[in-house]
Amino acid sequence: MNFDWTDEQKEIQKAIGGLLGETAQADALMLETADGESAKNIMSTWLKELAELNYLAFAQGPVNAGQAMQLVAAQEALAPLSNSLFVAVETSARLLGGLVAGFGADETREKILDPLNRGEMIGAVAVAENESREAPGLQTIATSAGDGYVLNGRKNFVANGPIADVIAVYAKVGEQTAFFLVEAKADGVTLGKRIKTMGCRGLTVCALELNDVHVEGDAVIGLSDDEAPLHWLRMAESRVQTQASIGLMKRLLDATTTHAKSHRRNGRAIIKYQEVGFKLAEMLTLLQTAQWYGRRVAYLVEQGSAEASTVSHCAKVFTAETGESMASAAMQIFAGEGFVEGSVAERGYRDAKYAALTGLSCETARMQIADDVLAGYRE
Amino acid sequence: MNFGLTDEQRMFKDQVLKFARKEIAPRTQEYELKGEFDFEAWRRLGEFGILGLHLPPELGGSGADVVTSVVAAEALGEAGVDGGLALAYGAHTFLCADTIFVHGTPEQQQKYVPKLASGEWIGCMGLTEPDAGSDVAAMKTRAERKDGKWVLNGTKIFITNGGIADVAVVYAKTDLNAGHGGISAFIVEKGTPGFSVGQSWHKLGVRASVTSELIFEDCVVPEENLLGNEGMGFMMAMQTVEWDRSTLLAPLVGSFKLLIDKSARYALERQQFGRPIAKFQAVKRKIANLKIFYEASRSLVYRVAWCKDQNRPLNHLEAAVVKLFMGDWSLEPTNDALTLHGGNGFCHEYDVERIFRDVRLAAIGGGTSEIQKLIISRML
Repeated sequence: MNFDWTDEQKEIQKAIGGLLGETAQADALMLETADGESAKNIMSTWLKELAELNYLAFAQGPVNAGQAMQLVAAQEALAPLSNSLFVAVETSARLLGGLVAGFGADETREKILDPLNRGEMIGAVAVAENESREAPGLQTIATSAGDGYVLNGRKNFVANGPIADVIAVYAKVGEQTAFFLVEAKADGVTLGKRIKTMGCRGLTVCALELNDVHVEGDAVIGLSDDEAPLHWLRMAESRVQTQASIGLMKRLLDATTTHAKSHRRNGRAIIKYQEVGFKLAEMLTLLQTAQWYGRRVAYLVEQGSAEASTVSHCAKVFTAETGESMASAAMQIFAGEGFVEGSVAERGYRDAKYAALTGLSCETARMQIADDVLAGYRE
Repeated sequence: MNFGLTDEQRMFKDQVLKFARKEIAPRTQEYELKGEFDFEAWRRLGEFGILGLHLPPELGGSGADVVTSVVAAEALGEAGVDGGLALAYGAHTFLCADTIFVHGTPEQQQKYVPKLASGEWIGCMGLTEPDAGSDVAAMKTRAERKDGKWVLNGTKIFITNGGIADVAVVYAKTDLNAGHGGISAFIVEKGTPGFSVGQSWHKLGVRASVTSELIFEDCVVPEENLLGNEGMGFMMAMQTVEWDRSTLLAPLVGSFKLLIDKSARYALERQQFGRPIAKFQAVKRKIANLKIFYEASRSLVYRVAWCKDQNRPLNHLEAAVVKLFMGDWSLEPTNDALTLHGGNGFCHEYDVERIFRDVRLAAIGGGTSEIQKLIISRML
């Protein structure tokens, strides 16, 4: 056993810490109100800066799982800045990048990963759809056309959609499923208006419509009978959201502790009251537990453990739900100040919800965890 | 970072699991229900080498590291050894034997540690008093030097192994004006004139451990029974905190693995409305909650053990975090396991009922959750 960061991991944390000044805070705030073009410029600048630290290429896909701890070290440094910015970066680098690195053909990897990891391309992944009673299941369909495919369908919630250059669209092809790499500017692609969200307002989100979109054969990744690439994506999303929640918890604890030490009532700092001090103690307990959870997941991923997926979902549920309870506690301690729009507590309160419902929602994740556990006991 | 056990540690865990499942766990229910200490199980633990695992071979131990001790303690919980016997082991080995080993003179080590390591003698630690629980410095037990001996007066309560111990490490005030610095530790043997056992308590959980009052009335102990330096008692007691946050909590981690085993098997076997209850989402949610807590707790407990192996003093804040998490966040999933078992979970015949009761101590013993919050909030 060894519970210390390596020198290399400390180095990357320090390097990322160097990026997180006042300008970074301003960028994160600007993302909330920026139009598509401006949001894309802000994200491109950030991606290029992170690319210089090689951050974008860390642990992409199952083939590079050996860098999982290095990635978590880096993510712990970056995530406290902003949920929106962090999730936007990770959606491009880890989700789209991971799918390409793990399941794409050699030429596709070269074509996509090089610009993606230099920060010259922004990626998105489109999975979620509205399901109707009349049409259950996946409704985005790919049909063979010459040496490629034609895609038709609608995705209703695509993170990074408004700023993406390339989107991995999950679709059915016959009895199989696959991700199809679609260029955002391709004919037949219609991006909806940026969706206004309750939290993570800096994360650009839109719907996506595909009408007879032609995709080359080499842009198909992870064609499978068993949805293995989708399962990998779900695990990757859980890992991203785990770190997003941990970052949020860290940001909230730091701000709330500072407030509780400086805000005075009845002649003393409110941290001196057990009702406040004890809430902060619980917040710290949850933060530290969450951090060790995230690091343990990275270890299991690095080891190729059969438990990695299950524990990833466990960590996601734990961190998402404790993130929500911490956000509530922070709001309570900030009281009126926290209730004001734009305050750290108010933003955190709204942002916290996203992790609990994106990727595998906490409810679905729990069912997956239980299925995994029960599978070990079936005769 | 590396969260993995060595092959040797994994093999040892399997050995302890097999031993405890065969030799100890089948006896648990009888003694737990009676609320009696199982001396035969104790003898078997000693024979297997559990009781002196981390102590040096020259003093009758096996020289194992702290992580291996946690492995063994976790395996006991996982095998179904009751929290009472596990607590008795923790109090004996880590709060008594280890304190004598770490702070004792060579003579004290030779005299007591081998007998404790083998289980021939049972040890305990006397710290808590009626008016000095979390507030240790408020203790009233006095030790006065008279004619080259120490005379102890006072009462200790809630002492695990108190009524059956052959030797106790007892903390007493040697300087009333020095606060924490006025506390010293003494080795007191059973049968010492003036030392008696008062009442024993029937408890909600950990029922097979003996919890007693220790009474000292002009109890005279030889000068050489002072353990460590005079005035260092508080520091010595606080050093046991690392054991408390690792080896003493490890059986609880193991218990959660057992709860997962029991709950999963039960959910697959138990049929309602024509299908196994494992098919119902409300049941699956409970199984997931058990798994989520179990995975969260393991890293915390093992990290404390690893730090101790590195001779790295545990940060008080982080120690409190581990204790607080294990104490407060273990209650809900344990409740889930019991509810999943329905009426059966409410009956003694199922392990979940015992674990449900045993777990409650984690938020009380070794410093209440409120004290942990106090420590953390003061250090923020």
